Amino acid sequence: MSVKLEQIDECRWRIPREGAMRTEGLVFASRAMIQALQKEQALDQVRNVATLPGIVGPSIAMPDIHWGYGFPIGGVAAFDLEDGVVSPGGVGYDINCGVRLLRSSLEVQEVRPRIEKLANALYRNVPSGVGSHRKDLKLSVVEERKVLIGGAGWAVRNGFGRGEDLDHIEEQGAIRGADPQVVSERALERGRNQLGTLGSGNHFLEIDLVDEIHDQQAADVLGLFPGQVTVSIHTGSRGFGYQVCDDHLKMMLQAARSYGIELPDRQLCCAPIGSREGRQYLAAMACAANFAFANRQLITAWVRESFQEVLGKTASELRMSLIYDVCHNIAKIEEHQIAGRKRQLCVHRKGATRAFPPGHAETPALYRSVGQPVLIPGDMGRYSYVLVGTQGAFDETFGSSCHGAGRVLSRHAAKKRVRGQNVEAQLESQGIIIRAASRATVAEEIPEAYKDVTEVVGVVERAGIGKIVARLKPLAVIKG
Amino acid sequence: MTGYRLLEHTADMGVEAWAESVAELFRQMALGMRQIITACPAVRTQHELEIAVSGGDLPELLVNWLGELVYLLEVRNFVFADVVIEALDECSLRARVQGETFDPERHYLEREIKAVTHHQVRVDSGPHGCSARVYVDL
Repeated sequence: MSVKLEQIDECRWRIPREGAMRTEGLVFASRAMIQALQKEQALDQVRNVATLPGIVGPSIAMPDIHWGYGFPIGGVAAFDLEDGVVSPGGVGYDINCGVRLLRSSLEVQEVRPRIEKLANALYRNVPSGVGSHRKDLKLSVVEERKVLIGGAGWAVRNGFGRGEDLDHIEEQGAIRGADPQVVSERALERGRNQLGTLGSGNHFLEIDLVDEIHDQQAADVLGLFPGQVTVSIHTGSRGFGYQVCDDHLKMMLQAARSYGIELPDRQLCCAPIGSREGRQYLAAMACAANFAFANRQLITAWVRESFQEVLGKTASELRMSLIYDVCHNIAKIEEHQIAGRKRQLCVHRKGATRAFPPGHAETPALYRSVGQPVLIPGDMGRYSYVLVGTQGAFDETFGSSCHGAGRVLSRHAAKKRVRGQNVEAQLESQGIIIRAASRATVAEEIPEAYKDVTEVVGVVERAGIGKIVARLKPLAVIKG
Repeated sequence: MTGYRLLEHTADMGVEAWAESVAELFRQMALGMRQIITACPAVRTQHELEIAVSGGDLPELLVNWLGELVYLLEVRNFVFADVVIEALDECSLRARVQGETFDPERHYLEREIKAVTHHQVRVDSGPHGCSARVYVDL
């Protein structure tokens, strides 16, 4: 199906309102990206989201957009609290999948000679891949419920990390309104053995070096300098979140029928935000978001331990502090300015990152002069980027930016591309150590499977919905 | 014609199957999904688990059926080799799932399925056979 597109400027494209659409679509992309996008179904999905009741502003797609299920990956959609809907498919299965970035006092030349040992220690200490978990972390049901309310704070109170970490996490590491009573037994069961695990697929743990500084002032505020060693963690709420999404999709399929909501795709099933189904989903989603914050907090503690163990340095020597932790699959109740009027909206970000501007009350005090850090992982062979939020994003995209590079190759196509090649050896020859639980994952996650993240953040910056601070380059990558 | 094939998707994967009956169709969909999780041939059919699944209509039943198999693997550690559909109607099914407890010495898993999605899910049945499609989130 071809989707009608009108070019607005170099980085913006409009999908005009037609048929059942209640609003237009707004796509951030270069011309080359648009050409590639027209070959898959992501633009149809932007159009489908525009048909949902109570949508405010356009159905937005970030430059890393690709074909998702229901909503596109890289989509942002805001809904009015009174006549709008909330959709579990607009958040995704991996609720609060997100990224956190740790800085250190280390410089690349200190780390390079020990990089293999560090990669091995991280691979050993942080469970990755299907079914793996720490034998020394056993959660009771009672304790699991505390995780769902406390989030990263639960982890800190149990000795994983430091109090100041919480100041540098979106929502201070715990979304309010979490209610474990609305969570199914099955979700609790799936989550219990998976807290403190990386998972597989595109999740990763990475040691990076700061390769280029683009904005010196913001880099100084974030504590970044050239040649510095940083660590990125990309994972989410694991089986717990997948089950919460699954449970609530079932309820919402029923709800959509009973509220008479027409669905162009079942995966878009939804309910009015204020309805019983809507409120229950948001309460369960908050539980899953908090599970994910706790998950990344536990992994952070094991990363710090691994560095101390391998480098023989103390925590105060390593100074591995948390720069920031962002959610990129989430729905949030936020206040935005629409046509000169302040309105409470439910902003769905599915494969999109909050990017609040300098001066915003939700931006941590330390970063308020430069804007909220926005963490954009690329692929395992090229770069990742650190950006900050802008007023442009706040005005145009409900304070949102992209979340990654975005896939371009299917898994099958990626595997075919590298058949007979040793991907690990090739990356090692470029100075990147890979440790992975599954060879299939490595083949499917090759750099060529993704857009060039440099082009993606380039569009973001030219469109004014984010500002590049620094470019990171991988030294070691742990995959599931 | 009876069988399945895997479908390409930019980030995830899909399964399409066809069969003479809806019961066989549901079996083929399970075998197709198994191919995404593992191509490991060493799984024996030495144990059986009986399961019952329900759903609002056939497409929803299909999603719930495959979701149940993901759950058995993830939580019960049960990897299946084959399934026998005992009874099936528009909104419910009973099945015996044949396989064994996952043994890392003999088995391997290639991919983790997060969930079976409702995205473009389809079950068609007619006088000349039936077919279905689902996408799974990886």
